[in-house]
Amino acid sequence: MNPRLTRQELLRRGAAGSALLAFPSLLAACGGGGGGSDTGEVNDVLNFSNWELYIDTPKTRKVAGLTGPTTLEQFTTKTGIKVNYFEDINSNSEYFATVQGRLRQGDGIGRDIIVSTDNDRFLGDYISNGWAQKLDKDLIPNISNLIAAQASPPFDPNREYSLPWFSGMDGIAWNTELTGPVTSVTQLLEDPKLKGKVGVWNSMGDTLGLVMLENGDDPAKVTDESFDRAIAVIQKAQDAGQIRRFYGNDYAQPLATGDLAASMAWSGDILNLGDPKVQWGIAEKGGIIWTDNMIIPTGGSVPTASTYMNFVYDPQIAAELSLGANYISSVTGVKDEASKLNPDAASNTLAFPTDDMLAQMHQNDPTMFANPEYTKKWLAVQGK
Amino acid sequence: MGTFFHRHRGATPYLLLAPGVLWLAIFFLIPLAFLGYESLQSGLFPSFEFTWQFSNFSDGIRDYHEQFIRSFVYAGIATAACLLLAYPLVYWIAFRAGPWRNLFLLFIVAPFFVTYLVRTIAWLNILADQGPVVSILRDLHILGPDGRLLATTFAVVSGITYNFFPFMALPIYVSLEQMDQRLLEAAKDLYASPTQAFIRVTLPLSAPGIVAGTLLTFIPAAGDFINAALLGTPNQAMIGNVIQSKFLESLDYPSAAALSFILMGLILVSLLVYARIVGSERLTG
Amino acid sequence: MTTIAASPPRARRSVAARTWAFVKRHALMVYALLVVAYLMLPIAVVILFSFNKPAGKFNYVWEEFTFDNWVNWNSVLGIQDAIITSLKVGLLATVVATALGTLMAMAIVRHHFVGRGATNVLVFLPMSTPEIVLGASLLTLFLNTSSIFQLGFITIFIAHVMFIVSFVVVTVKARLIGFDRHLEEAAMDLGANEATTFRKVTLPLIAPAMLAAALLGFALSIDDFVITYFNAGGTQTFPIFVWGIARVAVPPQVNVVASAIFIVAIAFALTNVFWEYRSAKRTRGAT
Repeated sequence: MNPRLTRQELLRRGAAGSALLAFPSLLAACGGGGGGSDTGEVNDVLNFSNWELYIDTPKTRKVAGLTGPTTLEQFTTKTGIKVNYFEDINSNSEYFATVQGRLRQGDGIGRDIIVSTDNDRFLGDYISNGWAQKLDKDLIPNISNLIAAQASPPFDPNREYSLPWFSGMDGIAWNTELTGPVTSVTQLLEDPKLKGKVGVWNSMGDTLGLVMLENGDDPAKVTDESFDRAIAVIQKAQDAGQIRRFYGNDYAQPLATGDLAASMAWSGDILNLGDPKVQWGIAEKGGIIWTDNMIIPTGGSVPTASTYMNFVYDPQIAAELSLGANYISSVTGVKDEASKLNPDAASNTLAFPTDDMLAQMHQNDPTMFANPEYTKKWLAVQGK
Repeated sequence: MGTFFHRHRGATPYLLLAPGVLWLAIFFLIPLAFLGYESLQSGLFPSFEFTWQFSNFSDGIRDYHEQFIRSFVYAGIATAACLLLAYPLVYWIAFRAGPWRNLFLLFIVAPFFVTYLVRTIAWLNILADQGPVVSILRDLHILGPDGRLLATTFAVVSGITYNFFPFMALPIYVSLEQMDQRLLEAAKDLYASPTQAFIRVTLPLSAPGIVAGTLLTFIPAAGDFINAALLGTPNQAMIGNVIQSKFLESLDYPSAAALSFILMGLILVSLLVYARIVGSERLTG
Repeated sequence: MTTIAASPPRARRSVAARTWAFVKRHALMVYALLVVAYLMLPIAVVILFSFNKPAGKFNYVWEEFTFDNWVNWNSVLGIQDAIITSLKVGLLATVVATALGTLMAMAIVRHHFVGRGATNVLVFLPMSTPEIVLGASLLTLFLNTSSIFQLGFITIFIAHVMFIVSFVVVTVKARLIGFDRHLEEAAMDLGANEATTFRKVTLPLIAPAMLAAALLGFALSIDDFVITYFNAGGTQTFPIFVWGIARVAVPPQVNVVASAIFIVAIAFALTNVFWEYRSAKRTRGAT
């Protein structure tokens, strides 16, 4: 299916094996971590924290040509569980900072499900510190619908603690009024015609991931040398004045207004921008795919959360979610279901990528993020 | 009888202070004490240990003196700019605006009702490279043909200035508004020109407001991070950005705490110097 | 022989002199209006873009004019609750902080007491502390006292009063330094006790300063993000809502809500102008 990803899976499984050996000792060191959780009973309320505009709403459903109630409402109708949906995650780091205190004390945070991205340190931190509870897979038969590429990520090799919510692709976007297509990272960072009008991310995994691919290094297996090589490339571009700024997700505005001619960009943002003069493509040497994962934090109800996760892994529901939010799903068959509901929208490869596109995607090495030396060097490049 | 207000020792001041000081003691000092404890810890998240790690402080100064200096320079320039921009405006509001004064006071504060992010998006639109402002400046050769206003030191300092403008303007207004106009009339009767009257009468009487405005602008501006984050490049990173990233991204809480205390210490030192220059009664009354 | 300075008869002044006099008289007003224009420039853009119909989910580039956003202002989920929470917290925190701050200012300026210097330092410290550590350490306090303080509206309120108080103290102090005590002494001479003097003499005289401090405090509260985010639990204020949504979209409804607050506030101020005009006219008519 996806030859490159499968090869990487094999490589990762090797690494994961050794990581698995480390897990029990980690958990023991943390004293077991997880505080009081469930009684084995499914509650009648689910508390779910997510990013904003990351789920279908009546308005987005209408735009996507979907009728009927939202997926949350359908869930309540089907299971009788009411959902308190909080859109209070606006940044992995900030959310982590607000909940880590309680989790460190072994307390719950009043949530059954929270969402965190895999190409930053925090998802791994939740799991390695014992602050994520194991899923009840008996309640998630639909887990078999998880696509093969996501079956064994390095931070959770047996998918015991997490399941993907949405993914996004890292690529390059350009303003067609200011430049022709920008197809490679080298062009982005070295073409003198783009000088001072280039954007990169301020997040390590995304920016350095793309650079490593350009350098011919594997972003899923970072070494000190490959890291330093990537940093050197960015530092050079920064010193030469090629890079305008290091952006969060605020590069969309300058791209639209012409302050940026080209930028590293997420597929979802460009889709949401809806501006025909801003185009997006995967870089020549490949892109990074990141995934927001659902986890059950300490104090959350495992049965209730697992029931919900099973619900959203139904291909029909997954298709509605993907159409309603414009992000990439990790459920098999989602594209076919989406075509039945809205063939036009389902043909949009930014939300429903082709197998070819997915074959060019790579994932980050999670051990890179918590490495203090790496973090220090990355922040130093940004003047921090 | 009037001496009641001046020299009555006893409980009055403490009673007046009690509610406010209690609030700050509980909700500021206690957290601050915890922060102090954190600043002497060491280790990696989540297992920090208290080890009297004073090197957090020396390392902080050694590694980030550039950002510290830059923060004070930016805050200083922004404060001066605020003062120059605000004083004539509030002078006009206090003395010439008549019944319109409250409206204009509202105009000063109104930008805050529109969240920071929303008004920054507006500024990013106005000052865009292809927008009207930059085009005019390029035509006038004030900016080079590739020149830009955004992602520069100018953008960051302007952002700080714009954001802290009310903090300079309102205290000065407070000081001017109470001024007794008859003092100006007396000055004119004594043959002072308007300029002289201003310099010898108005300006000194508004000094408490100027001092207050300067403090309310400079102090928080020194710790600002958001303007450098959204409008600047790595060359404009302020100490606020360093603390932000140490706290959120490196999870290096001891370092972040130590840097915060260094910042507070430097600000207090600046305050002492400032008090000496302007005379401490202006500071405390 | 010396002549008493007197303005020369009008007819003899040249056009240039008259123009110059005109400019001098109005220069200050022109300057003031220019500064106000500078302050209002982004607000004008915000209001303009509230009528925009963006192509995608981000409201960055002008597309076409529409009234839809104003009609469906709360069609974006969460925006209504967020702005109401912001206004409630803002008003409550401002009132409390202004009261506490004014009392503190009076104590500091009018009394010499043990600990006066320390109190001054205490006032300046919260302003000097970076917001992120201020918010995070306050959160730690709330977590350790979770039986008393549940994260939510109350903790946001507490946090806001905490960081607003210092600004109130410094602003009101500027008024109290140089306050003419003789007025109070005169009142006391005429038989008023301290409480009455405070109510009828002091308070009205420092009211404009308290109003200015309150304006400042409200502005601080309604715009705060970092400290609020850390102490909000899942509650959303308007800034939290906007920062959260900005990752994916900046809907024009955000502009609508922001513009609406601004316009309502201006409307209040205009009624105040009208009121003052009328009462000024009335007092003139009465004399």
